[in-house]
Amino acid sequence: MTKQLRMLAPESFREHLSRRAFIQGGTAAAGFAVLLTACGSDDAADDASTGGEAATGDYSRVINKASGSLAMYTWGDYNDPDIVGALAESELGVTMKVDYYPSNEDLITKLAAGAGGSGFDIVVPTGPYVPQMIEKGLIQKLDMSLIPNLGNLDAAYVSQTWDPNNEYSVCKNWGSTGFFYDKTKITRKMETWQDFIDACMNEGSGNCAMIDTAPNLCGMWYWSQGKNWNSQDAADLDACEKFLVDEFAQHIKAFDSYPSTKLAEGAYILSMGWNGDLRQAYTRIADAGGNPENWVWVLGTPATELWMDTYCVAAGAPNPEAAHAWINWLLVPEISIKDLQYHGYNTGMKSMDSLIAELAPDLQYGDMIFFSPEQVATFQTQEITPTLDRMVDIMNKVKAKAGA
Amino acid sequence: MTASVAPENRRRLRAPKYALALPSIIWYSVFFVAPIAFVVLYSFGTKDTSKLVPVDLTRLSASSYSEVFDETFFTVFRATVRIAITATLLCLLIGLPVAYFAAFKVGERWRAIVLAAVVVPSFTSFLIRTVAWRIPLAPNGTFSKFLQDIGVIGDSGIQILETSLAVQLAIVYNYLGFMILPLYVAFDRIDVRLREASKDLGAGRVATFFSVTLPLAGPGVAAGVLLTFIPMCGDYVTATVLGGAKGNMIGAMIASQFSSAQNWPLGAAMAVLMIGAVLLVLVVGAAIVWLAPWLLAALGPVVQRWRAIQAARHGDRGNQGNQGDQPSRRWGIADSLLHRLLGVWTTLVLIFLFIPVGLVFLHSFNRGNSFTIWSNAVSIKWWGELFDGAVFLQTAVLFAALVTVAVAARRNLKSRAKFGGGYTAWLVPSGFVLALVVNGVLTNWYANLFDFTGIGDSIRNSFVAALGATVIAVILGGTAGVALARRPGRWATAFMVLVFLILVTPEIMDAIALATWFPRIRDVPIVGYIFTEGWGPFSGGMNKLWVGQSLYASAVVTLIVRARLAGLDESLEQAAADLGAPPGRAFRQITLPLIASAMIAGGLLSFALCLDNAVISTLISEAGSTTFPVALLGATRSTIKPFWGVGAISLFVVTMASLWFLVVLLRRGGASAGNIAATLTGN
Repeated sequence: MTKQLRMLAPESFREHLSRRAFIQGGTAAAGFAVLLTACGSDDAADDASTGGEAATGDYSRVINKASGSLAMYTWGDYNDPDIVGALAESELGVTMKVDYYPSNEDLITKLAAGAGGSGFDIVVPTGPYVPQMIEKGLIQKLDMSLIPNLGNLDAAYVSQTWDPNNEYSVCKNWGSTGFFYDKTKITRKMETWQDFIDACMNEGSGNCAMIDTAPNLCGMWYWSQGKNWNSQDAADLDACEKFLVDEFAQHIKAFDSYPSTKLAEGAYILSMGWNGDLRQAYTRIADAGGNPENWVWVLGTPATELWMDTYCVAAGAPNPEAAHAWINWLLVPEISIKDLQYHGYNTGMKSMDSLIAELAPDLQYGDMIFFSPEQVATFQTQEITPTLDRMVDIMNKVKAKAGA
Repeated sequence: MTASVAPENRRRLRAPKYALALPSIIWYSVFFVAPIAFVVLYSFGTKDTSKLVPVDLTRLSASSYSEVFDETFFTVFRATVRIAITATLLCLLIGLPVAYFAAFKVGERWRAIVLAAVVVPSFTSFLIRTVAWRIPLAPNGTFSKFLQDIGVIGDSGIQILETSLAVQLAIVYNYLGFMILPLYVAFDRIDVRLREASKDLGAGRVATFFSVTLPLAGPGVAAGVLLTFIPMCGDYVTATVLGGAKGNMIGAMIASQFSSAQNWPLGAAMAVLMIGAVLLVLVVGAAIVWLAPWLLAALGPVVQRWRAIQAARHGDRGNQGNQGDQPSRRWGIADSLLHRLLGVWTTLVLIFLFIPVGLVFLHSFNRGNSFTIWSNAVSIKWWGELFDGAVFLQTAVLFAALVTVAVAARRNLKSRAKFGGGYTAWLVPSGFVLALVVNGVLTNWYANLFDFTGIGDSIRNSFVAALGATVIAVILGGTAGVALARRPGRWATAFMVLVFLILVTPEIMDAIALATWFPRIRDVPIVGYIFTEGWGPFSGGMNKLWVGQSLYASAVVTLIVRARLAGLDESLEQAAADLGAPPGRAFRQITLPLIASAMIAGGLLSFALCLDNAVISTLISEAGSTTFPVALLGATRSTIKPFWGVGAISLFVVTMASLWFLVVLLRRGGASAGNIAATLTGN
């Protein structure tokens, strides 16, 4: 139990930080060099992802000191409180103010309502929402000269389809979707989304929770059928609606995107969820005096989601300099890994294995953070298509039916 | 001489009747009518997510309305109305005996205590109290395990969370106070002689209650029902925190159309229909209330006949001769039993009101990382995160020392000095202020006190926002209330409709309306500048919050002030005018003191409401003006850490300290404890 607590906030890490004193001005040039090679050729990235042992030396650790306060609008509980609190003040020189939103649409509504006057510096939209936000003028172009540490990212996580040149966004972390269940209550072995759906409709009926976003809820059905959730096939959507509304809705207990605490309270015996949050459920369950070993995490198969949340600078940000400094700072390996240990999502640093081995050797439930290439091959990234409206509509009907 | 002054005054009074309500009228036009009109307009638009405001207004149609009329909407709507009506009735049933007990069965001292106990829990954050219900209801929680151990419930534990039962429970809990207070005020105002007369005329307790007390308390019942039913219909915070899928309420559904679905036309159409439906329910309710006297009158003979039958039967059975004495002795026993029962009931209700507050306090010392899950270990680490221990101690010592000096000095001066108590009475309050100032200078306490990311700032922001909004609400509500009571006319009817619309409009609709309104008025001279650039406390986020929170609060103050003045005729003001006082002076010296208590009561109520405002504030606050409920609502999306309990308790202490200060000031003005209690409840 104590070991798990240590895992989320290891005492040893502070020493690590001070031992590995950040060199400021001096490494700037070296940092640039890394950045240039990373951008300039694919070889550098390949080197980085293959080269295990020599990795830590290659990282850029530029910290641009900033001042004043920095307002971030992000998802719930999405950064290590130390990093947002004391460390941001001592290392970066800024005071963080953090507010939370529950969905990308809420973020967009809020920023649009503020029309450039919302006062936020950093926002954390999910990748596919970036183009929409660029189009509406809600985020501003990044000044890459202020983010020299970008080269620390694995090549797989730069230049995404929604922002091919990383002009507006930088990967914060990425994750996937699966489910979590109490094996003392659901005794059969569960491996696929079909198993999950089946359990929800039988022994887990009235005791299961779904992620509270329309694409995820509908996506679950698509994945269970081995279909692509970006399919725009009307017949698929109809079948999805028919199943979810008529057969499935009545079994749902709650729509909950962050089920970890409620799992520990005993409110659900199985739940769909994002890998990092469900990883935190283990700690909460231990906190509540439960036995974490009774709970099983399953990555959804045969297909599931890959989502990536990105750091962006809001249009009209009061402190854009500090915003860039923050994005850059979070790409320093030590900070990145510390954050990773807290939220449990892959931050996409290059040579992740050797970084973990060095900086977080006692990391637990690593299989919930890092996925094998075979698993990654089954991941699908959401596209913003007209079907999203239909999915929201289905979600509303499911909610109404579930509440009846 | 007098003769020549009076007509002049009469002439000067001939400003338009609504002159005093003008500030409210302007305020509501700019920040309610116009923004809401836009949202109503959106309901005829079509969805277009490529725009900043995702509505296309070039092609207007009513298609959103026909879209609303499907099964989904009505299922949720029926559930919402069912929960709201049930909860209103439960509040009435639970609150009525408490108000009756406080008004008729206890002395002044206990009355003040009971009323304070009803009010105090509502000064703890609404959201954290709602979240706190998760603690005793958790299937794995201590309470659940206890019940399992003694065999009351099965192995699966308490299965209430994430059902509409949990929502029902928490909604009754959250709004009970808003029912008890108006009921108490109404009971308290009843002339005891009427009740006595009723009994002297031979009516029994039951008959007196149903044909005298309850009808006289009618306005209080109506006020209580309005204050509970309307916000319940729009409530979605309670349902979000406790209800799961089964507690889906219409407020949440409308909110999700505006946010996650980005379908503003549909959301606006739903909101418009919801307002209509709530008004309809109220009209039906009013009709029933209007018919109530007839119903009660019809019931009267039935009760009488029943009593006659009882008496006759008793007479047949019993063989004692003294028939006249018998019932009264029986009633005497019944009376003391009733008294005791009411006392027990009131105690139980007060315990119920304090359960979540106690749990919030307890769990702020939880060592685990989750507020709702008790880790079986006590720790002050979360307090340490909010307060620097050493600074806190130092400050507390200094503070205590200064207040002690002030109290001691006052006592000494009072007993020895020749000059009157008028000066010495100021000593404690001014000592308190001095202590605050000296503390600030010596320890830099206020800078360090809430030195923690987000929470400390949010506590300060909540306080500043609620204070500003309350000042606005009291000024607007006070003047409008006077105008309504003193200068009624056709305008008053229209104005009351407006006030009712403000009370009935779901908060999420106000929120959307205002959030899209501020960017729209950016280019308007002066007003636009205030809401974009601004100055000091009048900059961006904070003054938007003042506007947003003042709407509902000022409507409440208006109603309270109007009700207060409605009971007093205008003869005093007329006498002042006849004696030559110009209208301004008559207002200052006569009207203002008359409505002062109502304004204070309204102010307190709006302060409590503003402090808890989450929905409007969430949408219009900016990065620098996040309030405590906004931050907490954000945190409820994931894990709520115990430091939120610390924050809630701190906010509560600050609020109570300010109230105490107010009480001290009032007492200095010569008010007794009972008067203060009456003031607090708007009597």
